[in-house]
Amino acid sequence: MEAAATANGAVDGAVAALRESTPFGDASPGLLARVAAIARAARYPAGARIYSAGDDADDIFVVVSGRVDHVFTPEVGAREPLKRMTRGGVFGWAGLLLGQTRRLATVTAAEPTEVLRFDTEALVALLESESLDGGRVMERFAGMIQREFTLPAMLSQVRRLSGPLTEEMSSLSLTMYRLSLWLKSPRPYLMVIGFALFLGFWYLAVEVWKLPRFREMPGLTSVVKEWVSPNPTYGLSLYTEEYYQHIVVSVWRVTKAFVLATLLGVTFGLLLGWSRTFKDYVFPVFEMLRPIPILAWVPLAIVMFIATESAVVYLAFLASFFATALNTMLGVESIDESYIRAADCLGANRRQVFRHVIIPGALPFIFTGLQISVGVSWFSLVAAEMVSGQYGLGYVINTSYMMVRYPTIIIGMVTLGIVGYVTSAMVRVAGDYMMEWRVRELALSER
Amino acid sequence: MKKFLSSPAFWRGAASIVVFLVLWEIGARSKQWMSPEFFMPFKELLGAMGFKKDYLPWIGAVPAPSGVLKAWIAVLGQQGYWQSWYMSMFRVMGGFVAAMIVGIPFGLMLAVSRVAHGVGFPVFEVLRPIPPLAWVPASIIFWPTQELAIIFITFLGAFYTIVINVLGGARSIDVRYFQAAQSMGSSNWDIFRRVILPGTLPSIVVGSAVGMGITWEVVVAAEMISGGGSQQAGVGGGLGFFIWNSYVGGSYEQIVVGMISIGIAGFISSELLRWGGRYATPWLKAR
Amino acid sequence: MAVDHCSLEIEAGEICMIVGPSGCGKTTLLNAIAGFHDITSGRITMDGEVLCSDDKPKSTPGPDRIVVFQNGALFPWKSNLENVIFGPVMQGKLARKEAIEKGRGMMADAGLSGVEHNYPGEVSSGMRRRVEIVRALMNDPKALLLDEPYRALDSLTKSVMHEALLEIYYKNKVTIFFITHDLEEAIFLGHRVAIMTTRPCKPKKVLDVDIPHPRDYSVLTSKRFRELIEETNDAVHEEALKAFQAGEKEG
Repeated sequence: MEAAATANGAVDGAVAALRESTPFGDASPGLLARVAAIARAARYPAGARIYSAGDDADDIFVVVSGRVDHVFTPEVGAREPLKRMTRGGVFGWAGLLLGQTRRLATVTAAEPTEVLRFDTEALVALLESESLDGGRVMERFAGMIQREFTLPAMLSQVRRLSGPLTEEMSSLSLTMYRLSLWLKSPRPYLMVIGFALFLGFWYLAVEVWKLPRFREMPGLTSVVKEWVSPNPTYGLSLYTEEYYQHIVVSVWRVTKAFVLATLLGVTFGLLLGWSRTFKDYVFPVFEMLRPIPILAWVPLAIVMFIATESAVVYLAFLASFFATALNTMLGVESIDESYIRAADCLGANRRQVFRHVIIPGALPFIFTGLQISVGVSWFSLVAAEMVSGQYGLGYVINTSYMMVRYPTIIIGMVTLGIVGYVTSAMVRVAGDYMMEWRVRELALSER
Repeated sequence: MKKFLSSPAFWRGAASIVVFLVLWEIGARSKQWMSPEFFMPFKELLGAMGFKKDYLPWIGAVPAPSGVLKAWIAVLGQQGYWQSWYMSMFRVMGGFVAAMIVGIPFGLMLAVSRVAHGVGFPVFEVLRPIPPLAWVPASIIFWPTQELAIIFITFLGAFYTIVINVLGGARSIDVRYFQAAQSMGSSNWDIFRRVILPGTLPSIVVGSAVGMGITWEVVVAAEMISGGGSQQAGVGGGLGFFIWNSYVGGSYEQIVVGMISIGIAGFISSELLRWGGRYATPWLKAR
Repeated sequence: MAVDHCSLEIEAGEICMIVGPSGCGKTTLLNAIAGFHDITSGRITMDGEVLCSDDKPKSTPGPDRIVVFQNGALFPWKSNLENVIFGPVMQGKLARKEAIEKGRGMMADAGLSGVEHNYPGEVSSGMRRRVEIVRALMNDPKALLLDEPYRALDSLTKSVMHEALLEIYYKNKVTIFFITHDLEEAIFLGHRVAIMTTRPCKPKKVLDVDIPHPRDYSVLTSKRFRELIEETNDAVHEEALKAFQAGEKEG
């Protein structure tokens, strides 16, 4: 005896009943509405048999009102074969188990009972289409089956949902999912339009219309031709070894500076934020030195460090150091007091609070600081290289200008942009990896 | 104020500044008070690291604070020094104001229109990692005067920061403000003027403070590069050029004088900006 | 001055509710008990031991009185289970394995089985509250200090939370010190309700709630419940009005 659930009131009632069940208790309203939409209501008088063990496991049931007696067959080996269920009780889930197509129990209505029935495959498909929420519901099915139905573990292996869902959403699958969303939006196409406009304007202004001021500039075609030519006029292209030498030199310098600055800067910043005494002593000197532009240090650095190599790395280091230390300090100071208090209540000593609360709590800020630090590092490095130095991308740009090799200037600039972006992205990815909790939190709150 | 002066924080800070200056003084004068014999045991070790001089590495080559002070007092009377101040300030303000005039509307446009954002933001993000200083030669080629070239670089430096902060500020405006305005019947223009604009102001103010720091970096570098790179006398100028000139001329004390001057100038301009910001966003004080 | 001439005695194992308008100083009182705030004069003792007094104005925070915070203080960077086992593991009372087992068990009791490996940011706020309470109870505290924990929840979730809290209380019998501005919540949950004056706060009226435990939501419509509300509503309203006129900012 079945009736189709179509009226709105019926859907609301279905949602309310679902809310009281273990698997759907905390699901989002959107998902619940969709699940309720595929529900079919059914009524059974007292004493009626709903299904018998050995029948096809086609539908999953949720009790809306009344009471059912659910009895496992002895072969199943449940610790307590009889289970009584009222409103919110879920049964008929055998179809969710690995390798199960038949009913494991016999179910009878002990009182006049109203239920919702869901086709198992339809429900699974629905859950698969709702990335994170659906996975959670399946997790809770698994938990419920193990806990509430006292089945031996072997038997209660719930099917894993296929597609982008697994029991735990890893960062990789999250990224892939978001990538697929992005590709379906208009955004990639707008991006292409943007670049086309920019490059198009450059091309037209310099080479076609020959606008004043613009005609002196190296044109798009000459730059591209130079960049990809195996035998470049000015000596630098994707095919020349020298090109990569310069890249490696610059990247290596930035790496040295960045790593040193991160180690010292984070330590320094953590101390500044954590110890009031330390901050009182050290911060004034720090704040006195910080406003001096890094590049104002160039002559002094050359004087201090006999070798220009060290001077250049020192400048990049200095810039990074200030940015990292400051951001780390701010990160520590901005940690909500409640977390520290909670840790105190729970009996953690100072060292434990530092390790388990301060460091993870400041980590988001630290990584923002690190991204800024990479940018600042490049900034200083290029300037330093332009002023003094024999290799590197900054040097390339400067000398290309001196020697009137204009297309090479642009090649240098573009290369800098690419390398800068890649290093910054690497820091960001490292941060996402270390702070999975934040990635998930942000993903769930995306507007 | 009195409370601050008598607090332990103040005395600790003052103490460490004094200690810092003393250490600096001692280290810088190590040439004079450290005899070569003292260095004998360390000489091989230092030599292996590349230091072949007879004084403390790094700090030994730096001019001492006492010398710096003397040089500074001497320079305060020279007109050239104050002119350098003026020139740098002029460039900083010029570039910065230009960055605000172009950057704020650009940022708001990107924040408000999805289409504009889709078209403009990727190009912006691709150009952003290119350090402003890498633009110097291109800028010099393009702009008719060197002055304009420098101001353009300054503009670039601040522009990126301001746009990013405007975007961030617009995105973080509580959705409920929009909803409140709409439920009270505001037109889109009204919402822009009375919700979005004031809502982004705090971020613009913060962004400007950071942008100001970057602007100074850029100005100094640009002055050093173009002033030091080109041999044109009289062109360039500014505190960056002052520093470079001092280096070339061998008066190392003046280098440090220049550095500190820029630090002070930067601090002053940041404070001015913070003042202006407080004036424009009086409601933030109440927090 | 946030609290003045406040004198209160709380029985072991009782649920003591503190009701007062926002900003009246009740959170300050809780903070003093917990050890986050100095007292200027007076004495707070627990089971005869002095927590803080004129000589020792700040009590040391500890796992004998654990706070459940208004906006929640579950560590967002640890999973729910990691949060729950934090106390015993930090104190060295339990080895990690045992702590995990105990934590799993307590979470299951509270109906939180599915979300052990989720991060707090991924689950609903009602669940977060329950996880936080489980985290506290893992340490067998003598008292739970709850600072308006359900303030940010909608009234439907709130009533479910109330019943959940009572269930937990019946199993664990800790002393509960609960701050709220909601009179109905107070009378529903508490053995005794202390109605505080506005700043500086002190008990204006202390009510013995003689509705027997165990209670369930049917109490809300019972005659005695309504009577108790009638008795105390005026007192609460009076203080609320005073606070409103004084323009108190959110406490």
